[in-house]
Amino acid sequence: MSAILKYEADPARALIQLEAVTKTYDSGENAVQALRGVDLAIERGEFAAVIGPSGSGKSTMMHILGCLDTPSSGRYWLDGEDVAEMSSRQLARIRNQKIGFVFQTFNLLPRATVLKNVELPLLYAGTGGGDRRERAMEALERVGLANRAKHRPNELSGGQRQRVAIARALVNNPSLILADEPTGNLDQKTGHEIIGIFENLINQEETIVIVTHDPSIAARTGRRIKIVDGQIVDGDTID
Amino acid sequence: MILFESILDGIRDIRDNFGRTLLQLTGIILGAGSIVATFSLSVAGKAQSMKFYAISGGIQKIWINDKPTGKVTLDAKALASRGLTWTDVVALRRDAKHIDLVSPVCNETLTIRYRDIEKPRTVMGITPAYAPMNDFHADKGRFITDNDVATAARVVVLGSERATEFFSTDNPLGKTVIIGGAGYQVVGVMEEKFFSFDNNEHNALRWMNRQIYIPITTYMTRKGEPLERGKVSWMHARMRDTKNWKDAVGELESILKREHGVKDFEVYSRVANLKRNEANNKMYDVLFMVCGLISLIVGGIVVMNIQLASFNERVREVGTRKAVGASPMQIFSQFLSNSILVSIFGGVIGIFVGKFFCDGISLLTRNAAQMTPDVIIKALIFAAGTGLLFGMYPAIRASRLHPIEALRTE
Repeated sequence: MSAILKYEADPARALIQLEAVTKTYDSGENAVQALRGVDLAIERGEFAAVIGPSGSGKSTMMHILGCLDTPSSGRYWLDGEDVAEMSSRQLARIRNQKIGFVFQTFNLLPRATVLKNVELPLLYAGTGGGDRRERAMEALERVGLANRAKHRPNELSGGQRQRVAIARALVNNPSLILADEPTGNLDQKTGHEIIGIFENLINQEETIVIVTHDPSIAARTGRRIKIVDGQIVDGDTID
Repeated sequence: MILFESILDGIRDIRDNFGRTLLQLTGIILGAGSIVATFSLSVAGKAQSMKFYAISGGIQKIWINDKPTGKVTLDAKALASRGLTWTDVVALRRDAKHIDLVSPVCNETLTIRYRDIEKPRTVMGITPAYAPMNDFHADKGRFITDNDVATAARVVVLGSERATEFFSTDNPLGKTVIIGGAGYQVVGVMEEKFFSFDNNEHNALRWMNRQIYIPITTYMTRKGEPLERGKVSWMHARMRDTKNWKDAVGELESILKREHGVKDFEVYSRVANLKRNEANNKMYDVLFMVCGLISLIVGGIVVMNIQLASFNERVREVGTRKAVGASPMQIFSQFLSNSILVSIFGGVIGIFVGKFFCDGISLLTRNAAQMTPDVIIKALIFAAGTGLLFGMYPAIRASRLHPIEALRTE
């Protein structure tokens, strides 16, 4: 617990603050408690890895952090806003303005070009066409893929696709980048290249939280948050 | 902004799945097509009728014919009635305020001879009012004048076809023809009337070119009847204002009834006929509309089904869009504008299909078809409406998808 309390000491700097967050899934008669009271604070500029065994609640926490889902109980402040009880429309706005997602399976729109994929968050933000294009190109430059703007996702390698997804996550200048097993579908070498990109972004003062199974990747982050059975525990080994 | 992107998306959709889109749109294409075709045909039919009316004396025209009652118990005056006579003409000219022109006609088949050509032909006794009444005028020479009527002159005006029949290429003016044994001087030849309902194959007004006109007084004198009692075969009357057509017809009927003591005649008004036709046409239009709408509804259901079938492959995409911040409303409008766009695309194809139907039908039935912008807009609105209506459900479902569940879908 001491490790967590250390971060609570300076709430003004905390980008993310969870208080006694629980999540219960009602699947018929047997309700599943995926999170059992999570307290967590993450500061701006941190590079954190969420680790833990399968079914421990990592993904559920990630979804709540990413405002894709809301907690059953507890509080969640993101960048000073209480998001625990927001409507789906408000959550969509938060996801659009404050969060960038990177998924294990990339989740690019297959029929759209790389550029259009990166522009997507700006489209929903209502950014004008010219501006959108310019900012998407900038984001692609940051991940080193500006030369592939007109390609379709299926013309790219897995690593390149993930870099497009990172560009998409970056494009709207979010407060937080969340990556759910971003290297899970990539080979070891490519996976470490992707983590290299994240490290660069940390140097540019982005805040990044990744979920990973891979101890060698978790080892490259600044902080490891271990979840077992729906609760945060001390330790940074993956059981 | 999003709307524009959605339209681009929709166009890409149509292009990428062209075959499936066409299949999906069959109902809408046929629905819009049948609306276009039926409306084009009915609009063209109406326009043709109006043209026909205009060329043959306008819709102000009223027919008055004898129609014996056939009843046995009649009073003295009714028994004495000889049907339509010259006296009625005088009475109508004097008393009918809604009527500005009365044109009585007598007709009989007589032997016509010029040199060695001799044929039995119908001859009409008329007054000068006949020309303006039927918008039918002399092309060469002149028509029958008031003076001809006043003096019961032995003059004749020939229809163009009759002039050719008896005089071939010679100039008939000033020549004398023998009608029923008496000599008549040809003073005029009528213009040629032409109107076709079927692409110029059949002249619906050919009968007018086959007429022979003499003054009505000459006609009656020949029969030895005094003018006042002279029998008239039928009359045309022209109403001043078609807006008051009911008054005009009513007034005319009451004057004739007063003169005859019995209703032994019938009155037929073009306006009344037109109103009746309009009511019929409206019924047909509604019928066609309903048929078109039914195919559009069926088409819409097909669109919805395919939207829902392709929905599953798009769920992940919706999840992605939601994850990057698309609001439920944005997803809703994206889906809806997509199905509206696809339906309008179907409507556009439908218009061409309708044009094709139209041309085919008009070729088979020799009826003219006319495609108006009005019809095209109607078809497009109906197609778009179908897309709106049946795109609603898939759009609502998409907008309500939970982002995590959508992303989990394989």
